[in-house]
Amino acid sequence: MLEEKEEDKVFDELFRNKLENNEVIPSESLNQVLMQKLGRKEFLHFIPSRFNIWYLGGIVAAGTTLALILSSDPGEEMNLQPEPPFDTVNKSEISLNSGQDISQIPSIPQTIDNQAVISKRNSTLKSGNSNIRGDKEQTTASGEIISAPQNITGTVSGKDVLSGQIEGKDKLQETANRTSNIIGASVTSGCAPLRVSFKGADTFRSYRWSFGDGGFSDEKEPAWLFDVEGEYDVQLQVSGDDGTWSVSSVRITVYPKPVARFEISPEDAAIPDDEIVFLNYSGNSVRYKWNFGDGNSSDQFEPRHSYRKFDNYSIRLVALSEFGCADTLEVKNAFAGSGYYINFPNAFIPNSNGPSGGYYSQKSDEAADVFHPVYSGVSDYQLRIFTRLGILVFESNDINMGWDGYFKGQLCNQGVYVWKVRGSYINGEPFTKIGDVTLLKN
Amino acid sequence: MMSDQQIIEGCAKHNRKAQQLLYDKYSRFLLGICLRYASDKAEAEDILQDSFLKIFFNIQEFSGTGSFIGWLRKVAVNTAITHYHKNLKYRYHIEIEEYVSVETGVSSFEEDFFTSDELYKVLNDLPAGYRMVFNLYAIEGYKHKEIAEMLGIDTNTSKSQYSRAKAALREKLDKLRRIKGSYSAGNI
Repeated sequence: MLEEKEEDKVFDELFRNKLENNEVIPSESLNQVLMQKLGRKEFLHFIPSRFNIWYLGGIVAAGTTLALILSSDPGEEMNLQPEPPFDTVNKSEISLNSGQDISQIPSIPQTIDNQAVISKRNSTLKSGNSNIRGDKEQTTASGEIISAPQNITGTVSGKDVLSGQIEGKDKLQETANRTSNIIGASVTSGCAPLRVSFKGADTFRSYRWSFGDGGFSDEKEPAWLFDVEGEYDVQLQVSGDDGTWSVSSVRITVYPKPVARFEISPEDAAIPDDEIVFLNYSGNSVRYKWNFGDGNSSDQFEPRHSYRKFDNYSIRLVALSEFGCADTLEVKNAFAGSGYYINFPNAFIPNSNGPSGGYYSQKSDEAADVFHPVYSGVSDYQLRIFTRLGILVFESNDINMGWDGYFKGQLCNQGVYVWKVRGSYINGEPFTKIGDVTLLKN
Repeated sequence: MMSDQQIIEGCAKHNRKAQQLLYDKYSRFLLGICLRYASDKAEAEDILQDSFLKIFFNIQEFSGTGSFIGWLRKVAVNTAITHYHKNLKYRYHIEIEEYVSVETGVSSFEEDFFTSDELYKVLNDLPAGYRMVFNLYAIEGYKHKEIAEMLGIDTNTSKSQYSRAKAALREKLDKLRRIKGSYSAGNI
């Protein structure tokens, strides 16, 4: 049998040695045939890097067809192209200097702004005392919009004034009460970004709104988003069927939006040992509401707080401005994600020359003769090892002392032992682990 | 001269020059593999073409960590297996019994006695199923269990096909040696 195996091997090796990496020269024509096949196949697969005149031609043809289809139905086309700024309610969200740049939607610059703040904060991590890590979830809630009463300060020129000239302010103010029903606004002041729904009176033929920030609308009931703080004089010019027209205006006050920002110090806080200091970097704000996530809260600018025990706390700061505008920053699992660990091997080979005492070193690790954990950031520690029958053979509260495989001076039998460890990491996070280890003899 | 890395990157971008370089550099090596799995050179070249198409379209899947040549070999072997399955129904199956009673008379072969062309020839003449198993087991070094999965057969089938393939090969080589031996004897 053995002989046959041996002979098998010789036979296999004959072929393997001769043919495994043997080269055979292909026919001359094969190269050409292959490249032609490849060309055809690649043409059917679209590959951007091989973008060539054929694809270009195809795209031009497709584009032309599309354009023809679209131009035959202008109603459809409206949906596909950037819309002119003054048509629908949606478009009145185009704000800022929308007269110049109709593609700019106010939420975009705001988002960029937020990201800039976040990345700036992340970069401050390196400076040392921040505890907000990139991997933690951060949420910001936008400020609440405080509704103002329908307090409209309209300035209206009388219907009989055909010139349309804006007159002295006192006089306009005087006429405002009389004709305030021409212009209606859902709110006249609030926190940025402030969305205002306007309403023109019913009886007119045409409406021309000027929002005071460069935006216009011809709708009767436009909505507009003011996302920059400031005071805006919104004007409405109406004309009636008889050719008369008049101008009315309302002042919209947009309060600055506060920004809630904070950091946790010290960065690698140990809970419950360390008192946490909350460093407040909020802007445009005068009042603060802290929620520490453990049921406690504070109104201080930079409060200090001690936690009773380790847990995954979510810490929330609401920053309020003098106008009552609010911004919220919540840091979830503020103290988690430490990267601390404790792990045990699943086998070891005790030194058969006698008990070593369990103190381990690089040298004992190479021989694998002491059972001990690899760990990071462990502060409290208790290891217990049992036989399969439940007899305690080893116990240690010193992480520097592992098990040498001896019990009462006798080397234990080869076999499986059960270990249990409990303790906590230096950030206060507790751990408990159970596993088994095989004791081997050499 | 482009390095393998440059060729791979070029091929990933479907650069025609890199593809040509890859072909020039490895076609002979890969045909050497394909020929072991085919019944003649024409079939081997079919497999080679399909292998290259697979290589060119999937080169980005080569992770760059393992050996490139090993990856190429794997593609060629897999293509050969696909080819085998595809053509299974057209093949002429030789009765198993034909080889069952072959005597294992010869116990050793000197390596240099046979040329590689002769070895290819005896492999080409094997029934396709035997050839697949023998190649995969003896030369590529797969386990019978893996071969069974690749070919969609039973592990025991793989084992028995392997031993039958060997018996058949041995007989052919024996015959060949006698012819060659008498030839060289005649020379002396």
